[in-house]
Amino acid sequence: MSGTLADVHPPYLYPEYKSTRLRAPAQPPVRVAPSPLEAAGPTFPKSFVRDSEADLTTWGKSAPLGEKMVLVGRVLDDAGRPVRRSLVEVWQANASGKYPHPVDDHDAPMDPNFLGKGQVLTDDEGRYRVVTIKPGAYPWQNHAFAWRPAHIHLSLFGSAYAQRLITQMFFPGDPLLAIDPIFNSVPEAGRRLLIADLDLEHGVEGVALGYRFDVVLRGPRATPMGV
Amino acid sequence: MTVAKPTPSQTVGPFFARELIWNDGGTVLFPGHGDRITLKGRVVDGAGAPVVDALFETWQADASGKLPAGGEGTRPYGYGRVSTGADGGYAIDTVMPGSFRGPGGETYAPQISVTIFARGLLKAVQTRVFLAPLDAIKDDPLARAIGNPERLRTLVATRDPGNPKIYRWDVRLRGDGEAVFIEL
Repeated sequence: MSGTLADVHPPYLYPEYKSTRLRAPAQPPVRVAPSPLEAAGPTFPKSFVRDSEADLTTWGKSAPLGEKMVLVGRVLDDAGRPVRRSLVEVWQANASGKYPHPVDDHDAPMDPNFLGKGQVLTDDEGRYRVVTIKPGAYPWQNHAFAWRPAHIHLSLFGSAYAQRLITQMFFPGDPLLAIDPIFNSVPEAGRRLLIADLDLEHGVEGVALGYRFDVVLRGPRATPMGV
Repeated sequence: MTVAKPTPSQTVGPFFARELIWNDGGTVLFPGHGDRITLKGRVVDGAGAPVVDALFETWQADASGKLPAGGEGTRPYGYGRVSTGADGGYAIDTVMPGSFRGPGGETYAPQISVTIFARGLLKAVQTRVFLAPLDAIKDDPLARAIGNPERLRTLVATRDPGNPKIYRWDVRLRGDGEAVFIEL
């Protein structure tokens, strides 16, 4: 199992991504079995999520700028089983590549009709669906002409705290992927897993393109119950 | 059996405050009562500088050592979430967790599971902080796995001499005094 994880997860230290140099732990992690606590996880009540939070385009008084899109996918465990009724949080820049955050100093316009935050619970098949706009690329200070490829952040809980994951979803065919150290920190075998597929079937004709992004959460190496 | 590769982790980045941070996310709810305590400290990097933009999450048992299932209003029980501040500081207002048993009968000392995400962390660091003195946690499964008392000490919160309800725990991500992190 650790072989699988090493195959797809980035290392802590990836010097091309400068912020890792002082923040990456130098010692290897200690491997332990999940405690009974970590083999379970927080329960998000149904009331935690409002249906409207799955549509990031209806937050403002009118439609946000940008290319409307539908993001669908399934959350599965590594045995292929759906992860049911688990929280998926998404956040992203607006169409011009700007976040509503005080430390975002990118000289690009805010969109008063776009906050860029949403959340949804997966259904009984592990499916989620979010309506949003395609985020813009934006520059950052890592190196000359460093621009983050367009991406949507996803935060997932799964059914056990040991499955907790935060990741980023990228768009197919983006030329900026080749020069992005954050994306390229992932071993080659894992990179494809971070790129959504164009999925016309889940778009809305004349209104929005569909993209599919499935997420696989690792199972704990061995659950305390031995199942 | 593993049939699918897990989705790779990516950094939380610097821009999550408006999206992931809740009002009162640092106040952890439980269905029952318990001794209210505050776990607080700073997250620092390999140069000792404050990590000002970490997402700091906690998950713990209740005062009697039970798993906190369910929630209240729109909040899950037992779970805390804050971001660090300009000094790298965090504070979690919670109850003193009870010890609990594992399936093999092993005893888990009073502890809080902690996950830290940040810009520069391509994947989260996970660990457990102990709310009991070093000599009281010897039989805990993680304490046994670590062995070395100097390293184990990085996971022991210390009681504030001026206020016994405050437990202090600083987390160094890298370098001298680097906290022990775990892989589950």
